[in-house]
Amino acid sequence: MTTGQPTAGRMVQPRTGVRQLRAALPIVAPFLTLLVLGIFFSVTTTTFFNPVNLNNILVQVSTLAILATGMTFVLLTGEIDLSIAAMVTLSGVLSAHLFANLGLREPFTTAIPLGVATLLGFISGVASTKFRIPSFMSTLAMSLVASGLAIGISQGRIVFQYSDVLRVLGSGRLFDDPANLRVLTVVAAICLLIGFLVLRYTRFGRFVYMTGANKSAARLAGVDTDAIVIACLTICGFTAGLAGLATVGRLASAQPQVINSFLIDTIGAVVLGGTSLAGGRGGMFQTLAGLLIYGTLRNGLDNIPALQVGAGTFFKEFITGIVLLIALVVNVLLSGRASRDKT
Amino acid sequence: MSDQPILQLRHISKRFGGLQALDNVDFDLLAGESHALVGENGAGKSTLMRILSGVYSEYDGEFLLDGQPHRFKSPADALARGIGMIHQELSVMPELSVAENIFLGRQPLTPFGTVDWRLMNERAAAELTNLGFPDVDVRRPLELYSLGIQQVVEVLRVITSGARILIMDEPTSALSPAEVDHLIMVIDALRAQKRSIIYISHFLEEVMRVADRVTVLRDGRKVATLKREETNADHLISLILGREIDARLPSAVERRNEQVMLSVRDLTSDAFRGISFDIGMGEIVGLYGAVGAGHFNVAKALFGMYRFDSGDIVLDGVPFPRRFSARYAIKRGVAYAIESRRKSLFLDEPNYRNITLPHLDKIGGMIPRPQRELAVATPAMRRVNVQPSDPRSAVGTLSGGNQQKVAIARWITHPPKIFIVSEPTRGMDVGAKNEVLGILREFRNEGFAVLVVSSEPETVLAVCDRIIVMSRGRIVAEMANTDAVNKDTLMRLL
Repeated sequence: MTTGQPTAGRMVQPRTGVRQLRAALPIVAPFLTLLVLGIFFSVTTTTFFNPVNLNNILVQVSTLAILATGMTFVLLTGEIDLSIAAMVTLSGVLSAHLFANLGLREPFTTAIPLGVATLLGFISGVASTKFRIPSFMSTLAMSLVASGLAIGISQGRIVFQYSDVLRVLGSGRLFDDPANLRVLTVVAAICLLIGFLVLRYTRFGRFVYMTGANKSAARLAGVDTDAIVIACLTICGFTAGLAGLATVGRLASAQPQVINSFLIDTIGAVVLGGTSLAGGRGGMFQTLAGLLIYGTLRNGLDNIPALQVGAGTFFKEFITGIVLLIALVVNVLLSGRASRDKT
Repeated sequence: MSDQPILQLRHISKRFGGLQALDNVDFDLLAGESHALVGENGAGKSTLMRILSGVYSEYDGEFLLDGQPHRFKSPADALARGIGMIHQELSVMPELSVAENIFLGRQPLTPFGTVDWRLMNERAAAELTNLGFPDVDVRRPLELYSLGIQQVVEVLRVITSGARILIMDEPTSALSPAEVDHLIMVIDALRAQKRSIIYISHFLEEVMRVADRVTVLRDGRKVATLKREETNADHLISLILGREIDARLPSAVERRNEQVMLSVRDLTSDAFRGISFDIGMGEIVGLYGAVGAGHFNVAKALFGMYRFDSGDIVLDGVPFPRRFSARYAIKRGVAYAIESRRKSLFLDEPNYRNITLPHLDKIGGMIPRPQRELAVATPAMRRVNVQPSDPRSAVGTLSGGNQQKVAIARWITHPPKIFIVSEPTRGMDVGAKNEVLGILREFRNEGFAVLVVSSEPETVLAVCDRIIVMSRGRIVAEMANTDAVNKDTLMRLL
């Protein structure tokens, strides 16, 4: 701890370098992890390091990126949203149902599902703030509500007709030219960018961090922490709805089964990037890093020959889990959070 | 009461850096005796208590238990030797049953290794009946019972784990008068069981009811050990303060002809009752009381952080709603620097962000710009003299006193109508203390209303124009802070 004594100036000088390095570590660590993983897969496989495959990684993580944008807001406030996978399903099924069975057209087939997902996020937020239900409980309940609605609406059937907007969003390319980037990748990048700008530069963003870092202090400074938590869960509902629309386009159908891996993958990617589950630390930049790590890991394992045939295929998930665990531990150690929590 | 001391301290001294916390203190305790320990904050009571209960094992002097020298390594060690401690903040588990709380960690077991509920409940009920509480249902959750009962349960937990000597730190500060009577009854019952009590309290009237003997500490030295018959409350105050007390009553409040800024009428909650006072423009009012008197809760209520059941708050002529948020209070011009810096500051964030947070809407609108924030925060930091003065460094790197200055600086960038400060100088050295008090005085001179909430008589005496004394949730006195008012006046009112 620095003191007010005049000698303090001299003491601080040699420590600045160490301090800067330590301050930079949480941000640098995920990119180091990414680099190590990239080199590892480039050396161990022949198919990983080429433009087509690298582009594949981007496509694979695009849906995840949209979900992670909302999740980052929620985790920064120290809350969690367990309903996103069910929201993805609900939004997709609802859009296809409105299109195929009720004959609605745009903008209703995108606006209504997005509105419903946003509203459900808002309700989770109100439940966990005004009624003090922990968000992991309220969003878990919301996930049943959403998946139940999805099953009810679709009567358990897969719907194959859906609006063109969903097709373009999920599988289209910019200006319909196959050489261009996918629309989904661009939408994901825009989500991350908006999230980044909001968190970094707006008053709302500042309030999000302060709420997560020290809720009582935020309240004492006049921040309406309940409103901030509600807003973040609402944003998360919206991004889950958007990811749901994209998923219909990507799978060329609206499936009533909830794809649970969306939830685990999203939280995994955000936390891998260095956003703290306890709130207040992290951000969109870290989430981007986490997404790329996660995508590289998933894709890289697909490219390892031993895991592509026979018994190996059955171990892929196991290995992903192990690598994820190791990467998380390394991240926590590098960002110094373990030692910080002890003091 | 036998005349053979079961515990003796001889020539105990303890230093913390440059501070001599205890200086050659002798203390002895007889079996079945209730022995009170009194003194001002900082007189050495806590240090002595921590040596007795095994928290500190490094000290000079001799510690004799049953005539044998001892040196405890830990509180667990002390408890194993029969010395138990009841802290001011109880460590009960409100959700568990009364019986479970009494036998926490030592539940009687059946031959199969499961908890023997029947035996545990029977023993718990028997123990409570012994102390005069036959009506408590030991199977019900402890949280259903009053604080007084919870305290008795904690006492039982300590004595059923074998304590012969019980140290009680300010046991009555949060109790109602009826509960205090019950506690005194419990202490009598314990003495009848030949257990000894060391009783630490600010409330001298209570001390005179409870104690067989009283030891007075001042500035780390023992002043006297007296039998109850040899002393009275006024005599104890003069020993505590080290001079003859001024017997005059505090002069009545002279209502100055100033415009009332804040007016509180009959504010009532579970922590305080019927609180009414006014604060004028350009006036510093002190709200003083012992820890647990409810004065901190009043401050919180004025800021929308503590729910009150009835009463009115009027600021600058405009009433507050019954329920309001801190955000609303800030908008109306209330500023509040709470006693805990940890709870009010973001230690990892730069100074300037800590300062601008409550006023971001006025400083930068939706998109705050660091340049404008710095332009607001830097002069505020300079004015309260934060050292080192870099607005971009994290608050956590500052010393405690400077952190407190940041907590104050946050409220002077956009001056409030009323500034509430809880324990503005807690834990500060003299220099920092005077700086902070000077800031409050400047503030007052500029015409703002200030409410200083504190349990340190020095603080309210140093800056306040008027002092309101609270005890057990009620206002017991209000006086102008004239030369006639000093520490004895305040302490006698507790």
